Amino acid sequence: MAVSLIVVDYSRPTHPIFLQEPRIGNVHSIFNKATNITLDGTMLALLSDELPRMPNSVRLRSDVTYKLLPNLKPGMEVCVGNYSLVIPTCNFSLQLSDTPLWEPRPDVNSYQWNRETVAQHTRMLTQFLANKQPQGGLTPLVGPLFLDQSLQETPLSRMAMPNLRLLAQASWWQNLEGIEEATRGLAGLGPGLTPSGDDVLGGFAAIMALLSTQLSADSIPRKHIASKIASVAKPRTTKLSGLLLEFASRGEVSEQLGTLLLTLMLPAEEFETVLKAADHVLAFGASSGGDTLLGILLGLRALEGKID
Amino acid sequence: MVIRALLKPNTYYDSITLMSVAQAAKDLPGVEDIGAVMATEVNLELLLNATLMPIAFLAEQQAPPGSEDLLIVVRAIDEAHAQAALAVAEERLTSRGDRGNLSTGEMLPARSLEMALKRDEAANLAVISVTGEHAGLEAEQALRNGMHVFLFSDNVPVEQEKRLKALAISKGLLLMGPDCGTAIINGIGLGFSNVVSRGSIGIVGASGTGMQQLICLIAAAGMGISQAIGTGGRDLSEAIGGVMMRRGLELLAGDEQTEVIILVSKPPAERVAREILAAAQIMKPVVVVFLGADPERFASVAGNAHMARTLTGGAELAVSLAGGDRRRIPGKDALYKYDLPKERAKLASSQRYIRALYSGGTLCDEAMLLLSERLGPIASNIPLRPEWTLAVGETFRGHTALDLGSDEFTRGRPHPMIDPTISLQYLASAADDPQTAVILLDIVLGFCAQQNPASVYSPAIIQAREKAKVAGRSLPVIISLCGTEGDPQRLSMQRTALEAAGAMVYESNEMAARAAALLVSDSIHQA
Repeated sequence: MAVSLIVVDYSRPTHPIFLQEPRIGNVHSIFNKATNITLDGTMLALLSDELPRMPNSVRLRSDVTYKLLPNLKPGMEVCVGNYSLVIPTCNFSLQLSDTPLWEPRPDVNSYQWNRETVAQHTRMLTQFLANKQPQGGLTPLVGPLFLDQSLQETPLSRMAMPNLRLLAQASWWQNLEGIEEATRGLAGLGPGLTPSGDDVLGGFAAIMALLSTQLSADSIPRKHIASKIASVAKPRTTKLSGLLLEFASRGEVSEQLGTLLLTLMLPAEEFETVLKAADHVLAFGASSGGDTLLGILLGLRALEGKID
Repeated sequence: MVIRALLKPNTYYDSITLMSVAQAAKDLPGVEDIGAVMATEVNLELLLNATLMPIAFLAEQQAPPGSEDLLIVVRAIDEAHAQAALAVAEERLTSRGDRGNLSTGEMLPARSLEMALKRDEAANLAVISVTGEHAGLEAEQALRNGMHVFLFSDNVPVEQEKRLKALAISKGLLLMGPDCGTAIINGIGLGFSNVVSRGSIGIVGASGTGMQQLICLIAAAGMGISQAIGTGGRDLSEAIGGVMMRRGLELLAGDEQTEVIILVSKPPAERVAREILAAAQIMKPVVVVFLGADPERFASVAGNAHMARTLTGGAELAVSLAGGDRRRIPGKDALYKYDLPKERAKLASSQRYIRALYSGGTLCDEAMLLLSERLGPIASNIPLRPEWTLAVGETFRGHTALDLGSDEFTRGRPHPMIDPTISLQYLASAADDPQTAVILLDIVLGFCAQQNPASVYSPAIIQAREKAKVAGRSLPVIISLCGTEGDPQRLSMQRTALEAAGAMVYESNEMAARAAALLVSDSIHQA
């Protein structure tokens, strides 16, 4: 007997996939509370509603997720289209009609942005991240990059550090060759299904796509830099990471990251709110959250034109 | 030196899984380094730079690995150690539930309470550890199915806790939690727990490491535990009213095996404390440890209850009342087992402050209470007074005690009892500070805790002391070691290894704090 269920919510960029005539995709990977499905070169993430929304997510009630996931295997066929998602082997069917759409692009244009206030938040966030004494990934580079702290040399930090500096400097000077070189050095670098270098690039690209118009010290928009990063990185990293970078280059980010970016327009005295939002970003993955935050800080510094 | 590798095409694990697998393999003897990465072009370059490039292995592959393939590489002292590490990595990966390609017929872990109950209808206790947002629903479901609940999850709203506890009481059940770290029910340890024989002392506690300290000291006296019932840290707050402590007390009062009962909590609300003490007027002896609460304040309502100021004091009273020999507990008599005056004399004049690094919140509280009595303000992230709070960006300020197990340190990483990385970082920072006179840290053994803490702390202690020596300083390190001989890590083995590294090891947290205070009281005086 088929189980037919209504999803909790789904992300706006996935909407066109569900509008089409049904197509066949496959289960790509399965985790405790999520599964990824590949389809026509893109990837849908079926998530438990315990997890935050992603630009490619379709969220289900947690009890449904727990029943579904143990029965999935990589490669299983999934039929997506006509406002439904069907996994025939599991007699599983999801309906999307009347389900709310979630918009992953934070509405940055509805707010007034003050460069000085954002700069103050940036400094406080930098200190906050450094105080965490992060381990793993590229997050430990926050001190050496921004606070003149000494660099603990590891093969990863040696490879990443010059490219991080180059990315920020080249973005300020709009040097596309430099951006390409830095991206080539960072894409796919480090541990994780979304390698650390990609998480940094994602945060950086999101800033360029969403806030470069409002925040760059020379008032020059830099959205094209985000697109450049995504196009250079995509063939050099995992499918999932490449896809998330594409979303980031359009300003489409996870729920926690979007919230954090919007808090940056708050007055300086409301830094606690910014900090709480940053904490939620940090809670993502083993080092992904910290690496993304590092990318955000790097992007914000680059827009100030103050990267040495 | 050999480099061996394992390639798993089209295989995806989340980064937390990969990190823990890599760490488990890296902890093995003979393993020099390990990498577990997606085989992207730059990650192959990274492996090359880290002397982890499995050149021969890659040459044997029919096609070069790509960015969708997981590559695990080990560098070890010889073939046997490398293969052992890869086997551990693979075993860890396949034994975890968070991957998709589980083989057909493999027994999947129960994914819901419903599924678990179908497998064993006789089960009458649910251990719940999901995000706080969903924990309440799961707990309610378990209670409605007639099950006692051990609720490990935190971030459950207080109103929900109140409602769930009322539901549990109405059904004659226990709701241990939320944020309940420790319990021993019918001899089975739940959460962070120690191995102790069954005996005649029962505990009801609103404090995880507080209960562990009591259990371990009682075990040191050769006595055992009948039941140890956790209540969750907020149970004795005004909002909750101590309902689960009263229920636990009631159960132990009626339990034939229990002869002496200990109640333990961080400072309770005044009204609740009085109600608990009123409920404690029973035939069996009851020892009450309300940390931070002055026993004199409750003298008029304590009645038959025996009030103790510290965990060690509580354990000594309980052991005596249960007919045991309290002198077997390593209490005051153990304070001078090390030559503290000699250590004190070696301190430089700049070394004035205690730097206490705790993974157990209650142990940290107890240490701060004892230290502040002698030394005044103790800066902390869980301060005894608001004005002693560490500012953002401050690592240490004067005498400092940190609870490294609190949320701000554990977000996105394992608790320091499981993974001591954060403790080691702060240990190094404290050692580098010329104002540090003594480092006080706790190590908690038992189930769920790190497998061999001495193997990571000992080298760090040796290095810290050596570094201080080069800088012309002596650096005493005092360890509050909470564990039993039956624990998987074995108390005596841990103690021996830590002492060999130059640490002074106390099994009583109170004595560890007192020893630290003795070292700095005089150094300040000399200064």
